[in-house]
Amino acid sequence: MQSTDDKTGGPEQWFTRITRELSAAWAISRKDMITYYIKPNIIVMGILFPFFMFLAFAIGKNAPPGTLIPGLIAITLLFSASSIEPVSIPIERRVKTFDRLLSAPISLHSLVFGESLSGFLYSLGIACFPLIAGIILFATPIEHAPVLVIAMALTAFCFATLGTLFAAYPTENVGEVMSMLNTVRLPLIFISGVFIPISEIPQIGQDIALFSPLTYGNDMITYAYTGTSLFSPLLDILALLIFILIFQFVANRLYKKFNE
Amino acid sequence: MHAIEVSHLTKRFGTLTALNDVNFSVDVGETFGFLGPNGAGKTTTIRILTGISYPTTGTATIFGHDIGRDTIAARQSMGIVSETSNVYDDLTAWQNMIFSAELYHVRRDIREKKATELLTTFDLYERRDDKVHGFSKGMKRRLTIAMGLVNSPLLLFLDEPTSGLDVQSNLIIRDVITGLIHEGVTVFLTTHNIEEANLMCDRVAIINRGTVAAIDAPERLKKTIQSVQSVVSFDHSSADQLADVSRLPMVNDALKEGDKFRLYTEDPATVIESVMEYARSGNLRVISISTLGPSLEDVFIKLTGLQRTGGMVHAID
Repeated sequence: MQSTDDKTGGPEQWFTRITRELSAAWAISRKDMITYYIKPNIIVMGILFPFFMFLAFAIGKNAPPGTLIPGLIAITLLFSASSIEPVSIPIERRVKTFDRLLSAPISLHSLVFGESLSGFLYSLGIACFPLIAGIILFATPIEHAPVLVIAMALTAFCFATLGTLFAAYPTENVGEVMSMLNTVRLPLIFISGVFIPISEIPQIGQDIALFSPLTYGNDMITYAYTGTSLFSPLLDILALLIFILIFQFVANRLYKKFNE
Repeated sequence: MHAIEVSHLTKRFGTLTALNDVNFSVDVGETFGFLGPNGAGKTTTIRILTGISYPTTGTATIFGHDIGRDTIAARQSMGIVSETSNVYDDLTAWQNMIFSAELYHVRRDIREKKATELLTTFDLYERRDDKVHGFSKGMKRRLTIAMGLVNSPLLLFLDEPTSGLDVQSNLIIRDVITGLIHEGVTVFLTTHNIEEANLMCDRVAIINRGTVAAIDAPERLKKTIQSVQSVVSFDHSSADQLADVSRLPMVNDALKEGDKFRLYTEDPATVIESVMEYARSGNLRVISISTLGPSLEDVFIKLTGLQRTGGMVHAID
């Protein structure tokens, strides 16, 4: 029912409105940081799961550990960014604090953005561990540091929004959202060039890979480390931005629909 | 301009009609009670009025702002206290207050002042730095109400504010609500405590099966009912006597409440005579007898089709 096109007048009022919306989104995000960052299921799904999954593949791969860092960063971003909201939102539905957010004088876009922001920041923080490990332990060179920063930020935000989108499913059960999310997240890591280069997978897999945001995130991170990539970094940026907009838009629609 | 104006509100969930052409308005500064049995449509109405849900047809405005089209402006003037004490257990009382203030765009320089003032009023200031998960039910309830007031709302939605609380919390909450009413805040009160609505509300609406059955001042609603109650107490009372007193002439209904019997009648004089005769014949002594007018609960029961059985109120299928 929320409207995002309230009549608020001139540019000054618009500026006030946007400032207020961003401020409320930041408040939601800060609340999530304090409340959920150290919840056990977030630690398991956001940190331990990607680490052990990656370890399982890395052990059998016979490649120098340093070369695996880009892939590890990519799947850490995927799992950690998309793990906060699928945990926090069902819990908040159960204890009815989510109604507090839904009835606040903010737009649904700000709510979705605020929720995603906490996943984004969490993910960036967690992804710094493989990044620093790569630098300190394996002296993994970074060819284009600014590209790496942009790649990590966009990938993190894209998957944080994906997590918020899945959390729109109207359940109070964390497990239900996580199960649905994993049916998407797990196949993504196999078709997006993280473990197997896209050029080595069957044609149908290569076609599907184009629809995976992880393909572009991983491609850009690989470019930042090695200077080589499947697509141009600009195309990767564009693709990730489009995915973010689609996820934000769909999440917004779903939260609206499921509150009918 | 009304604080709330609801016009032809209908809400359907598939084939179920939760609200059916509901119309009412609430004046600025009025305390309006919204009563109804479980499943009558109270929560659906509140969810629509607060912009969480939306109607299938019809409109609702808050201080002239259409809740569907001008949602944010409509919500800005509201305070919402839901039935559940929906506070963040992992945050401190202070963090909960500040978070709520931030959501409602309360200016930074006012936030802390307001939070301090409200936590003090609700006797929670000393515990402001404690995480809420250690709070009692009453303390959580008080914090929920404090959070609903942090934006100094002109319209306060109160859903079961005092349900199941300890005496201290009850007294604090009632004092605060009375104070708000005196300050001219419009209050939309939903409660199962009909006596609470009777004492606090300027008008009440009784909703049943999605339709508003009556809207009026409590005293005027009571006048629509003929039944009068006589409350009788004997020196020895037993459950067996209930059948006897319920058969007395002109008694429409009888209930045993503790050591007393509540007799419903339209002719209290005849009933009193019959009671005295019954006492004499059974060697009982009447300790007290009093006659009361109809209560708001009687109106509620009549309009909602509920029935009393052994002191409890049951829905008629």
